[in-house]
Amino acid sequence: MSPDAVPILKVNDLLKRFGGFHALDGLTFHVSPGEILGLVGPNGSGKTTAINVISGLYAPDRGDVVFDGVSVGGMASHKLVHRGINRTFQIPKPFLSLTVRENIAVALAYGRAEVTPPSTAELLVDFHLDAVADRPASELNSAQQKMLDLVRALATRPRLLLLDELAAGLNPTELDWIAGRIKTLAKSGMAIIVVEHLMGFIEQITDRVIVMNAGKEIFEGTLAVAVKVPEVIEVFLGGEHAA
Amino acid sequence: MLAYPLIAGLLFGLYFSLVGIGLNLVFGVMRIVNLAHGDFLMLGAFVGFGVFYLAGLDPLLAVPLAFAIFVLVGIFLYGILIPRLQQSVNPEMLSIILFFGLSQVIEAVMTIMFGTSERSIPSRELGSLISKIGKLLGASPEGGPVVILGQSFPAAWVISAITSVAAIFLVYVYLYRTRLGTLTRAVMSRRDEALATGINVDRVCAAAFGIGLALAAIAGVFAPFMFGSVTPAFGADATVTSFVIVVLGSLGNPLGTALGGVVYGVCYMLVQTYLSSWADLLPYVLLILILLLRPSGLLGRQVRVA
Repeated sequence: MSPDAVPILKVNDLLKRFGGFHALDGLTFHVSPGEILGLVGPNGSGKTTAINVISGLYAPDRGDVVFDGVSVGGMASHKLVHRGINRTFQIPKPFLSLTVRENIAVALAYGRAEVTPPSTAELLVDFHLDAVADRPASELNSAQQKMLDLVRALATRPRLLLLDELAAGLNPTELDWIAGRIKTLAKSGMAIIVVEHLMGFIEQITDRVIVMNAGKEIFEGTLAVAVKVPEVIEVFLGGEHAA
Repeated sequence: MLAYPLIAGLLFGLYFSLVGIGLNLVFGVMRIVNLAHGDFLMLGAFVGFGVFYLAGLDPLLAVPLAFAIFVLVGIFLYGILIPRLQQSVNPEMLSIILFFGLSQVIEAVMTIMFGTSERSIPSRELGSLISKIGKLLGASPEGGPVVILGQSFPAAWVISAITSVAAIFLVYVYLYRTRLGTLTRAVMSRRDEALATGINVDRVCAAAFGIGLALAAIAGVFAPFMFGSVTPAFGADATVTSFVIVVLGSLGNPLGTALGGVVYGVCYMLVQTYLSSWADLLPYVLLILILLLRPSGLLGRQVRVA
């Protein structure tokens, strides 16, 4: 990542309300091509809401999302996919009645038209899904469903990839492997935002983190520095980390 | 003695599959409860009346006409009603209220326009074009009863059943052999994921809604031949019957409706034959039984996936 690179995504003063609850309250940050940005914070801090707003699932109540110089706040999800934004889900949601191969084939038909799509076979092999290619997605275990969710997102050739707790539930070998894959994707120029609770995983892959609390950013920088900031320790990491 | 109700039940059952399949398609794709489903069926019957009484043509020709008209009506209605509905907190509940209202409006408008009289078409007129073509080729007899396993049935029932099988087969082709069908199954499976994949969910849903209404309408074309006559109030009963068929098969699984239709049809004919005075109760009794004993339907598919 080059810190001086022109950001591909700028989030400005984002507000998202659910009734009287402010899930996002003035959130502002940016991410550049090739950068891996971590969004961390306690449960309910607004990390997934931020992903949902950036990916078009929710429209912001205030503020803007600027992607590649164009304001895309509130734009429909499927249009954002064509512009190069895609995401995975905290609970993977593959098309259960379709086979793994069909799931990927559907996604390959969408996304950025200017980039030649990879082949289904290539993606199946790369993400260890070739042995289950012709099984319905409903028969996959949770780690395989996560991989399929990631492949589905990658099949649309995104420039910005949003990963919502991809690492949760994976074993250490799978974690190391997926960390390597994410770094390789970033090296190819893809901007990646990772929402995660596993601090070891975040430390392993991110260039920078934003710590959130109550919908606001309370820290921006490296995780190594974050764990020494009293406010971060208090709201997120817990008192025992203060020492 | 049992052969007649069983064969007639199978013929009716295939027809009932067509009656319910559009309702299940719409629910499966959009999670919308279309309480006006039976009214679109009734409107299809009136397309049949128009083709026969106004144009003087074989009512069978109303099938492609009704399909074309109601695909367009469905796409139009989807555009003005559904996206707004989907933005609400509880679209399923609101859809019940919205489509109940639409059902009342359709019935009232049709009653004002056509009155409350029972309307029918002579049974022999269905497929008269096929008979004429057959006669010209010297191959087909008059459109009289059809004998199956020694039992005689009205030709209209057989034509309705054959058309229903063809329509269900085409729904299978649409869902499992076309690109639009794959996208439709994707939306049925996970709406959020479909959006995140880049699928224009509204376009896919509009097509499914149009096809769902059109299937109801073509079932309606046959309704005067299967039930004797149709009035503008026919829609309410047809909706209840459709719900029973859909719940019997499996809510949210359009092809499960084929099984639900056949089971309902055989029960319908057995009750009509042996306990005819109880026949009107059948849909409600079956609905209660299936909801108590196997709420996910005979095919056992779960409707909601967390």
